[in-house]
Amino acid sequence: MNKLNENQAAYYPGCALLTIDRAYNSSSKLVSKKMGIELVEIPDYNCCGIGEMKSKGAAAMYLPLRNMMLAQNRLGSKDLVMACSVCYHEFERSITRVRENRNELEAVNAIFKEAGEFEEEYAPGGEARHILEFLYNEKGVDEVKRNTVKPLKGLKAAPYYGCLYSRPSMYTFTDKKPHMDNSERPRFMHDFLEAIGAETVFYGNEVQCCGGRNVVQDEETSFTLCSQTISKAKKAGADVIALICPKCAGALDVNQPKIVEKFGKDSELPIVYLTQLMALAFGFSKKEAEFGDMISEPLKVLKDRGF
Amino acid sequence: MALEKQEHRPVAEKGEHIIARHLIEDDSIKEEKNLVIDGVDVSGRWNTFILSRVDAEYDRSFFREIKDTVVGSRINRCWQCGMCTASCTVTPLYRRFNPRAFIYMMQLGNLKELKKYIDVAWRCVGCYKCSQRCPKQVNPAEMMEALGLVIKKYFPEEVESKLKVDEDVKKIYDDMILGDGRLDLAKLHTSAMRKTGRTKELLGKIERDTIFKMAKDGRAFSILRLGKPRNWGKSKEAIENYLKNIKSIENSEN
Repeated sequence: MNKLNENQAAYYPGCALLTIDRAYNSSSKLVSKKMGIELVEIPDYNCCGIGEMKSKGAAAMYLPLRNMMLAQNRLGSKDLVMACSVCYHEFERSITRVRENRNELEAVNAIFKEAGEFEEEYAPGGEARHILEFLYNEKGVDEVKRNTVKPLKGLKAAPYYGCLYSRPSMYTFTDKKPHMDNSERPRFMHDFLEAIGAETVFYGNEVQCCGGRNVVQDEETSFTLCSQTISKAKKAGADVIALICPKCAGALDVNQPKIVEKFGKDSELPIVYLTQLMALAFGFSKKEAEFGDMISEPLKVLKDRGF
Repeated sequence: MALEKQEHRPVAEKGEHIIARHLIEDDSIKEEKNLVIDGVDVSGRWNTFILSRVDAEYDRSFFREIKDTVVGSRINRCWQCGMCTASCTVTPLYRRFNPRAFIYMMQLGNLKELKKYIDVAWRCVGCYKCSQRCPKQVNPAEMMEALGLVIKKYFPEEVESKLKVDEDVKKIYDDMILGDGRLDLAKLHTSAMRKTGRTKELLGKIERDTIFKMAKDGRAFSILRLGKPRNWGKSKEAIENYLKNIKSIENSEN
């Protein structure tokens, strides 16, 4: 496969984005392309482990690092861009751990050797990058402003970062590296939303957890946490909640009918991805941004606001 | 702005659950019929807060066992400040969920006490607030994973009876992530519902609407296109061998 040029970046889609969260996948690609970076999917990627493999020692680190090796081997890119916060966390965790701990690096390399898929060993160096942080640092807010042809004037959006985009800073290096976001009060999504003309609301649950990890085993906890977040955003006057993680979408969007059934109409609010709103502001149609995919029906609100 | 929002009360006021916690246990209540101390009659029902005990006989091998795992490797650093419990997402919902206490019990190897908390110990949502704020980088979020390993090894019957759902779902994840190399979310959802005996709900209106919507816009079929990574078989074999030969409690055959 051809190596990447400077306007391309190696991209890890992850399992959710290729199936039920395709809206996030396609809108991320549209937005990046408009801003001058083409996202190229790595071939033969495997699942990152989505937090369920952590108690399996070095095997949990092998899963993401195999994808880093693929990016390096097939596309010649040290870094890997991804849109899913859970994948991002798993990648950052593995990369940081093997960089700081020689035993763990050796254990991972032993698995690589046995699998025999790559000739070389894994060597620390590459970085995983969340698409929000990637676009913010590589292209910046001004680039977003320049590309905005249809500002979303009058739309009140509640930015919802969730847990793993900014936490924990021991893995993500938020607070520790100057170009990274703040771990307790992230700002990048606020800046992007304001750049495309939307208004952001403060509602206090920006970095709260949606309970997405336990959404299968422990719906009760997840529903309670989601209903708190949605109702707080609604009370603060938000029209939509903007997300950057498909797992949050699984908890807040796909399960919303059940949450409303349990906690009442206070917990009903359209959920969209940040990149969908950006795509809309960049002049793409609502169909191209695939707003129709969301269970919580953001199309109605967007129509009311005249977009 | 933040001050205006104060009127709606959060789930737990700061520190509320620390007072309201289950400090009173039935076996620590003592009834005294005729107790006179310094001429004052203090007979009645009394709760013994601290029973006299000897905590010197630590089982150090237990501590090592946790320290040897990847997730529990920083257990020695914890100095019990309680920042993890104070910032926990789950504690306000389930007040018996107390990461600091769990870490303490693991440090001492106090299995007897740990056994009482099996029903809440698995509720961690992995939000990493505790790890973010921990002043000693103990990484309590991952320590809860180590706790899971400990429970699995020492209380297999309880896991079988109380944590069946959690274990079943974990098994589905394992089979898909290690077996197929990729995760099929629709299959995960339906097989988890089936395993936990909630097949009926899949036929309910909400589930039906969601499935219908996804079938209509084609997403239900995109799962067919997910595919498998090429050459995954080799990786799968290597991972399985690793899990079989690992010497700590992470070993899959424990």
